[in-house]
Amino acid sequence: MTVHSQGAATSAPQDAPPKSAGRPKAPLAGAGRTTGTPRRGRASLPSGWLPYALIAPAVVSIAGLLLYPLVKNILLSFQQVNKIELIQRKAPFIGLDNYTQLLGESRFWTVVVRSFAFTAANVVLIMVLGSLIGILLNRLGTKMRLVLSLALVMAWAMPIVASVTVFQWLFDEQFGVVNWLMRTLGFAGYEQHNWFESGFSTLVIITVLVVWGSVPFVALNMYAGLTTVGAELYEAAKMDGANGWQTFWKVVFPNLKPFFLVTTFLEVIWVFKAFTQVYAMRSGGPDRASETLPVFAYIEGQAQQHYGLAAAISVLTILMLVVVMSFYFRLILKQEEEQ
Amino acid sequence: MSTTAPKSAQPLRTRKPLRPAAVAKNLGALLLALVFVFPVYWMFSSALKPSGEILTKDPVFVFTPTFDNFGTATGVDLFWTYVGNSLVVTVGAVLLALLVALAASFAIARMKFKGRKGLVLGVMMAQMAPWEVMVIAMYMIARDAELLNSLPLLTAIYFVMVLPFTIWTLRGFIAAVPVTLEEAAQIDGCTRGQAFRKVILPLLAPGLMSTSLFGFITAWNEFAMVLILNKDKAAQTLPLWLTQFQTAFGNDWGATMAASTLFALPVLLVFVFLQRKAVGGMTAGAVKG
Amino acid sequence: MKRKLIAAVGVAGMMAGVAACGNGGDDKGTADANGNKTVTVWVMDGSAPKAWLDEVNKEFEAKHPNTKVKVEIQQWKGIQEKVTTALSENTPPDVIELGNTQTAGYAVTGGLADLTGDKAKLGADAWQKGMLSSAEVDGKLYSAPWYAANRVVVYDKKAYQKAGVTPPKTRDEWIAGLEKLKASDPATQPIYLPGQSWYVLAGFVWDEGGELAVKDGGKWKGQLGTPQAASAMEFYKKLQSFSTAPKDKDEATPQQSTDIVPKGGVASWIGLGWEAQGALKALKEAGKEGDFGYFPIPGKTADKPGSVFLGGSNLAVAERSKNKDLAKEWLALAAGKDQMTKYAAATEGALLPNQQAANFAAAAGSFAESMAKGAAAGKITPVTAGWANVETEPNPIKEFMTKVLKGEDAAKAGEAADKEIASRINK
Repeated sequence: MTVHSQGAATSAPQDAPPKSAGRPKAPLAGAGRTTGTPRRGRASLPSGWLPYALIAPAVVSIAGLLLYPLVKNILLSFQQVNKIELIQRKAPFIGLDNYTQLLGESRFWTVVVRSFAFTAANVVLIMVLGSLIGILLNRLGTKMRLVLSLALVMAWAMPIVASVTVFQWLFDEQFGVVNWLMRTLGFAGYEQHNWFESGFSTLVIITVLVVWGSVPFVALNMYAGLTTVGAELYEAAKMDGANGWQTFWKVVFPNLKPFFLVTTFLEVIWVFKAFTQVYAMRSGGPDRASETLPVFAYIEGQAQQHYGLAAAISVLTILMLVVVMSFYFRLILKQEEEQ
Repeated sequence: MSTTAPKSAQPLRTRKPLRPAAVAKNLGALLLALVFVFPVYWMFSSALKPSGEILTKDPVFVFTPTFDNFGTATGVDLFWTYVGNSLVVTVGAVLLALLVALAASFAIARMKFKGRKGLVLGVMMAQMAPWEVMVIAMYMIARDAELLNSLPLLTAIYFVMVLPFTIWTLRGFIAAVPVTLEEAAQIDGCTRGQAFRKVILPLLAPGLMSTSLFGFITAWNEFAMVLILNKDKAAQTLPLWLTQFQTAFGNDWGATMAASTLFALPVLLVFVFLQRKAVGGMTAGAVKG
Repeated sequence: MKRKLIAAVGVAGMMAGVAACGNGGDDKGTADANGNKTVTVWVMDGSAPKAWLDEVNKEFEAKHPNTKVKVEIQQWKGIQEKVTTALSENTPPDVIELGNTQTAGYAVTGGLADLTGDKAKLGADAWQKGMLSSAEVDGKLYSAPWYAANRVVVYDKKAYQKAGVTPPKTRDEWIAGLEKLKASDPATQPIYLPGQSWYVLAGFVWDEGGELAVKDGGKWKGQLGTPQAASAMEFYKKLQSFSTAPKDKDEATPQQSTDIVPKGGVASWIGLGWEAQGALKALKEAGKEGDFGYFPIPGKTADKPGSVFLGGSNLAVAERSKNKDLAKEWLALAAGKDQMTKYAAATEGALLPNQQAANFAAAAGSFAESMAKGAAAGKITPVTAGWANVETEPNPIKEFMTKVLKGEDAAKAGEAADKEIASRINK
């Protein structure tokens, strides 16, 4: 999948206000659960065979086209599958060899740590900037809001491959627009400044790209979410003498908690899995210092045609992600129970 | 361009004429808009530049636009086949995902059954699937089943790629519809199916819009699978077309950017179309509330 | 075909398909109901002029009634994985173009047909010895050499004239000339040389009597930590100091021929035939007139040009091909003397054909002339299955170059690169 953090414009499982919300008997619009939640949930319908019939197509397709290849992938991680084996269609089992090789490599652990740091930095930036821009959108006039949301939408719709190329140009050593801008603004040393001098500086540029590409999703969702927070709540908060910050924490945040929960969850997954942006920028260089886990998997696995090894890296990646996200799973499941 | 009287949809605006703050706010928004749109503008302007003016020491802002690059991009053999294939697999995958997800998310949101929690967990985990690495496993399955170069299989794969997100999102939207509405409809003589069609479905519009957008972008951009599974050019899609202007002879950046612009266009159109309905619907709800 | 579609419609259907098919495949070949056969040929983007291919196929189809040739141009992006998977399929392309540094890697997989028995039919006796070596593994022939090319120095005649520099014969003359160019026009780079032009470095290493990697007791090991590699790198660094090109990029990013040279300010550069053509074309499009001269990369002494990497491609037949005999026929035709002569002419000598007899009579002062001179000292990368892995990005040789150019000790950087090379080449 080449997409990263491109997704729905409207927010996920928060309480989306339906169109007909104005009807007197369903005063659900906006306020959400803080103002007398209407009865919801799954009480009304009888159970029996019907739910199973409804979920069957989804379960069967996920089992057939996701679970089955996933299991095959796990099997591959215990096999030797290089160029020769793939072409000759044999795949001898070699036990834990792929795993021991990986876990014994110090580079692997460096990459793991780097991946988590990279993900954390990106997700924090994306969530903070995205939320702030979402709030800004909510406070703008109609025209300006249209201008800003259109800009966000365009950034979002740009194909990732194209955006990586453009960012490479912008930060290019010889022809970069950024170097030109710095020179024009009178800064010295930007005649041929190399923005990709070290692994860290390369990751910083990649972060700019990833954040630029991901903020629209959060900002537009945040804005959509904010419009569901009823006006009377703000009024009430104001009457209590709350300032902007307090209003945010006391009114907006609790209402949009599900939104933050889910969006952060998705962003963590998407950033952690981001491949195109990291690889296409500098192929993990210089000297392999900007490699994240997916790039490492590609370079050690697919590019060298060691498919078993690539599978092992992906299995370890999922395991780590599951462990790190387990508290998140619990939170979201708890949310589920409350509903 | 300054702010007009606030609408009821923007509750935090008061009528106090705080000029400096308002100016700062609008200026900031304008600056942000520029930052976000600049790379897109650069792609588009590069597509219109003659080849010598694309990469230059001092960037060229004023130039005589040329449409040659678009001609090169669309003049490629089988261009319309790629367009057709891309549309078929993308639209097919999105529609399939909506249909299947609608049923599943209704069950998850509204019914009690054994294994429900497990299903929710499974759907969440499914979003972590490492599709890029699974390409080889998928390839081996398809090869041994003689399903290479198959558009239906590609559609099915994209469908499953977007299914978890679709279920998850729609489930939230369905859960937000009060049960009382449905019960009222049933009291009015609707069957449960009718109640779903007439009451819930219309309320799900924003959810359906946003999930189809996500699905559209995912399937539209997919590169790794189609590269390995469909080697027959007649069964290939537009993402492969995007890369073919960078060759051993030199990179035709103008054509690459023209192709990227054209490639982004349907997404943008779908977006603008859905965005209006989706967010529009939401704000309307909020205003009336 | 129909079964494919039906099976794919539903997921359940697909699962049934998996269970039913297993490894089996139909062995009917690619003949359709009327007995018509199709020979599929994969060539890389940029390898063959279309007019030439059309002519070859016309002749082939006339000779073999009821047979069609389907040529599919392949893009470089993701090609390795694509070729590997294609060779594992029941109906792979029948003829595949492979880079000469990659051929050995595929030969050992069993995916390529053994052509040793077809040598006479293919006219193997006429092939250039230097090109043949990349097509053979352990004495067995796995492909037909197709074309080769090597780099020469391309220079701007006006700039050289203005500085009073003539084409050098030795390295010392070369450097002296570059000094003069620098003095004559400080705004122009005497030579454009990015830091990671590793094929150029390979030539310098060979000039020193070194190697990129050698076989030692059954195992291959890198040779970048050797004094020879260090001296080669020293000379490279000297050359590179005349250029403002980035130290951490190769000649393709940005593309020197079309992105750099046409902008002017470059007195000379090291490139291939099609690059020179591409640069001329780009200059023309920009409304400028390019006037290039060429000379082989100078050697240490005047009697011998500098060593160069002989890049190129071979044509192989897939082992699983359903039309092996037809594929070999096509190979014999396309790589035979008559068509190779036409090929060399069609590329105006920018690519060397696989046999002497087909050589294009290069005009004096042309690229082709210089290239042919340089080719006399042409060599290829180690012929072993694992070499393809070394070349794969991130290429340890490139990392080594950047490090040394940025001031790291060559022996130390070479040692690190050798370690990486060893871990890749022996897999």
